[in-house]
Amino acid sequence: MLPFLIRRARRRPKNMPLWCGLAVLLLLACTDAHAIPAYARQTGSACADCHAGAYGAGAGGTLTPYGMRFKMNGYTDTDGNGIKIPLSGQLIETHSAPARGQSSTELTEADLYLAGRITDQVGGYVKVTADHTAQSGTYNTQLSNVDLRFVAKDLKLNGKDLLVGVSVNNNPGFDDPVDVLPASVSLGPPGGSGPSGTLLNPSSANAPANRVIGATVYGLYDSNWYGEVGTYNSLPTSEQDHLGYALSGDPGRLSDTAYFRFAYMKDLKTQFFSIGLAGLNTKRQLPRTGPSDSITDLGYDLSYQYLGNRNNIVQVSYINILEQRKYGSMPASPTVPGLFALPDGTLHDQTLSLTYTFMQSYGVQWAHLVSTGTHDAVRFGPFGDPDTTANLISVFWSPFGKDDSFTSIANLKLAATWFRFTKFNGATDNIFDVPLGVSTTKPADLNAFSVSASVAF
Amino acid sequence: MTKLSLGLCAAALVLGWASTSPAAHAGDASAGASVYKSECAECHAIKEGRNKKGPSLFGIVGRKAATAPDYQYSDAMRAKTDWVWTPEKLHDYLSQPAKQAIPGTKMRYDGLTDAKQLDDLIAYLSTVH
Repeated sequence: MLPFLIRRARRRPKNMPLWCGLAVLLLLACTDAHAIPAYARQTGSACADCHAGAYGAGAGGTLTPYGMRFKMNGYTDTDGNGIKIPLSGQLIETHSAPARGQSSTELTEADLYLAGRITDQVGGYVKVTADHTAQSGTYNTQLSNVDLRFVAKDLKLNGKDLLVGVSVNNNPGFDDPVDVLPASVSLGPPGGSGPSGTLLNPSSANAPANRVIGATVYGLYDSNWYGEVGTYNSLPTSEQDHLGYALSGDPGRLSDTAYFRFAYMKDLKTQFFSIGLAGLNTKRQLPRTGPSDSITDLGYDLSYQYLGNRNNIVQVSYINILEQRKYGSMPASPTVPGLFALPDGTLHDQTLSLTYTFMQSYGVQWAHLVSTGTHDAVRFGPFGDPDTTANLISVFWSPFGKDDSFTSIANLKLAATWFRFTKFNGATDNIFDVPLGVSTTKPADLNAFSVSASVAF
Repeated sequence: MTKLSLGLCAAALVLGWASTSPAAHAGDASAGASVYKSECAECHAIKEGRNKKGPSLFGIVGRKAATAPDYQYSDAMRAKTDWVWTPEKLHDYLSQPAKQAIPGTKMRYDGLTDAKQLDDLIAYLSTVH
């Protein structure tokens, strides 16, 4: 959803309301929830057992070590007390106040989740979302994240515990158990104009998120060592259209795609830390009849959680993804005779996130998002730099979702989020390079503030 | 040795035994509540009748094994027909990996090796009834 809409904005850089919409969409992306009451009903657990802030993903939703194990176990854990209907829903009402443009209050998202265990070895997560489209005022239904799993538990290797699983999913990194990769936390730096951002970042232009299908094989050895390899193929454009995605966001034809994720994680009960690597290598034809670009993402990540007795939880994560591109063509500049695009380049996405949660109910998240890249006057406009710097600050309250909450069949989160830009298109002023005499745009003009109420049931 | 000396020695022996007996380790229940939250709460609730991946710990101290209502115990646990969760039994069970204490149990737990935390935890669980 997000990359497509961001790209739509990029196609019309002089349309300021659309650029303001970009920030609002980023805010909405941050409310994307992965946890659903169906899992709580299935396991007897509270939402707070898996999520520090007792409500799904987004601010306060980062997985606890227990939540990571639930995910790696293929969403199959249960209280053993009968079959539960693996169905949930979510409604999000949002008041958005962009720095420029009109404020609005509307039902921004309605979601249906099919999620839970089928057998002790098979479980999954499927989200269908209806997003409010500001331009038309209607709702667009899309197949969002999908993660279907088969797991073999209680295996032994050299006397140590071994878990082996298969994930069929449509978003590289969404199935990340450590919950650090951008696809997993639904948070990554937005790039500037042009084909900016890394493939592992769903906020990038023409990102593969939700427009591919792939399978990975993963294993967890001795509870600490995680490894995963897999491959993806992009969906045909006709299929993307059927699933609710505009063709302008097509990730292109992908071939020879390889994905990997390795991590060492240590659960010390009151603390947790992890260190990991992730990579994606592919050949991309975008447009599909065009030449093939060779793209390699390689990232590393660190995370730390202080959990204590769960009354004061601190979660810190940092991810750094480097993308190397060897382009299949070097198009000429449409405006500068004799100027051609570079044959290769690098892009760099970094996200630092810090979240504090009190009593598993009240919290604040701060995230610093940076996207940079090789200067290329033809590919990235208007200055040839895709560099963007942004911050997210969110405060939230989740009154339910704990062991002592009066219900486990519903949950609520109220959040106030401020998304601010300090650099866009590599510039800190006049970011669209409009001529003198025309009203200029500063990065701060893309800022947006929102207040949202999310209800899950 | 006088009768008084014998009496003092007997008293010392009783006190010495008492001080080394697991059951006699007086834990701090309030500190044990924190231990419970970090070690147990993800899989066990203390609310009566609420089972998670593990059975409710309401009234666990003094309860016969495998008797929490509506919980599907493993065969290994159900076989412990003469097992009662006394403080001593809990101390022994929780101080080692669960699968070592009862091979075949569903419980995945590496054990709590910190003796004070274990005493505090059992003291706390004793209050949950």
